[in-house]
Amino acid sequence: MTVIEVRGLAKRFGPATAVDRLSFAVGAGTVTGFLGPNGAGKTTTLRMLLGLVRPDGGQAVIWGKPYRELGRRRRQVGAVLEASGFHPGRTAAGHLRVRAAATGAGRSRIDAVLAETGMSELARRRAGHLSLGERQRLSLAGALLGDPEVLILDEPANGLDPAGVLWLRGFLRQLGDQGRTVLVSSHLLAEVAQFADRAVVIDRGRLVSAGPVTELVKAARQAITVRTPRAGALRAALISEGAAVQDAGADRLEITGLGTEEVATLAAALGIPVYEMTTEGGSLEEAFLRLTATEGRPG
Amino acid sequence: MTAALRAEFLKLTSTRLVAAMTGLAVALTALIGVLEAVTAGTGKGMAIPSLATSGGLRDNLASTGFALLVAALLGVLVASGEFRLKTATDTYLDQPDRTRVLAAKAIVAAAAGAVLGIAAAATSAGIALGFAASRGYPLALPDPVIARYAGGTVVGSALLAAAGAGAGSLIRQQTGAIIAVVAWGLVVELVVGATITTAGRFLPYTAAAMMAGDTNGGGMPQIPRGVTTLPYPAAIALLVAIAIAVAVVAALTTVRRDIT
Repeated sequence: MTVIEVRGLAKRFGPATAVDRLSFAVGAGTVTGFLGPNGAGKTTTLRMLLGLVRPDGGQAVIWGKPYRELGRRRRQVGAVLEASGFHPGRTAAGHLRVRAAATGAGRSRIDAVLAETGMSELARRRAGHLSLGERQRLSLAGALLGDPEVLILDEPANGLDPAGVLWLRGFLRQLGDQGRTVLVSSHLLAEVAQFADRAVVIDRGRLVSAGPVTELVKAARQAITVRTPRAGALRAALISEGAAVQDAGADRLEITGLGTEEVATLAAALGIPVYEMTTEGGSLEEAFLRLTATEGRPG
Repeated sequence: MTAALRAEFLKLTSTRLVAAMTGLAVALTALIGVLEAVTAGTGKGMAIPSLATSGGLRDNLASTGFALLVAALLGVLVASGEFRLKTATDTYLDQPDRTRVLAAKAIVAAAAGAVLGIAAAATSAGIALGFAASRGYPLALPDPVIARYAGGTVVGSALLAAAGAGAGSLIRQQTGAIIAVVAWGLVVELVVGATITTAGRFLPYTAAAMMAGDTNGGGMPQIPRGVTTLPYPAAIALLVAIAIAVAVVAALTTVRRDIT
């Protein structure tokens, strides 16, 4: 069942196109990474989905309705958007009390979400005295007040230290395991690959790719370097299997498009000795850059 | 609407904004009230008449002029603070009906303005009546008139705060909104009222200050010369109409604007 659907969504800010006829869908009970480089249009898309920004064209709906028309079901959508703020003089619990009053969430939920996000001991601390990571947790606590079926999170890992990122990863996976539908934007494929089931990749406001994260990782086209005394024969066999092969020295080949298992199996079948086989690291980010063609793009 | 009102009420009561602005209003009222009372009847500079006279006592009771402006600023801060602190995103996520949010803000700002007005009116009354009594003067104004001036400060503060909330939603840039409201109260009304005296009584600060006891050419900030006092009910109706008009314009604009 489709929970979130974006159909031909478009938005311009003056001469700049932020979102360009974007379409994708998010199924129930999935954790979906919404990926793209900075400036790709992720935040604008999420803000249009949540009724904060008016689209110039297209539609973004949750359970088939625009966010503002969801009525009581709106409580079942929790969101944390980038650049959300806090009154520095209001305590963490005070912040949640305001949000609970606005949404009609029961006050008993305040203690529950504080505990869920590890913020119970900081409930009486003023927001101005919270660290960035603690404020992120407080934002998540606010999003969870209505015990939502759907969570929409915009770059929740921004500014978190490694421990915070680790916590968030587990937290998001836990939300997914509870059967919630989670849409998380990020510009880090390697990060999203650790907790998401599916990924939607956009660049310059347009859809680049959508599908299971495993497919995206598979398409990462890891480069494999092989050292063999029969480089010519192996090269011909690999090319016939659809791989891209480049010479990397007298007895070395650099192969992309096939996995290590496929290369090793092929070499063994042909009786070609392989003395060494290595894969290049960091390939997920390289694949992401290839997908979004942003290498060398500033900021 | 109840949820929006409850949330806005909690926002105000969970910070020190109302206390700080009320403190500022009381301090300014006390400063001006004491200066006026000390110099009353001396004939020096801008001294008001003696507190033994109805004019002197009325002028001293009306030392709440700056409090009225502070009330308007309180309204501005209630609304524009959401954009300065970037809490508007959560506010409109929780309550996507922006008109409802704006209405709730105006109502809560009016309530906070009334609290500020009560404190300011009590301060000016305490000073004026205290100084008059300490000098052995008989009360130069009947009780209902004193109560009406105090009520004018309370009602004026409440309605100017509501109008301020509309202005703060309209001009999201907080510093700009504050400057606009201060300039309006201190300069625009003085210039417009002095230039077109028949229009002066319909200006919001002037109407509110006159409800609080100010007369033409007097007050601090000053009321333009030649402006006649609007009848009390008409002044209230005018301020209500202005608060609603500003809120409607703000609502129409806010509904169309992107929250980024």
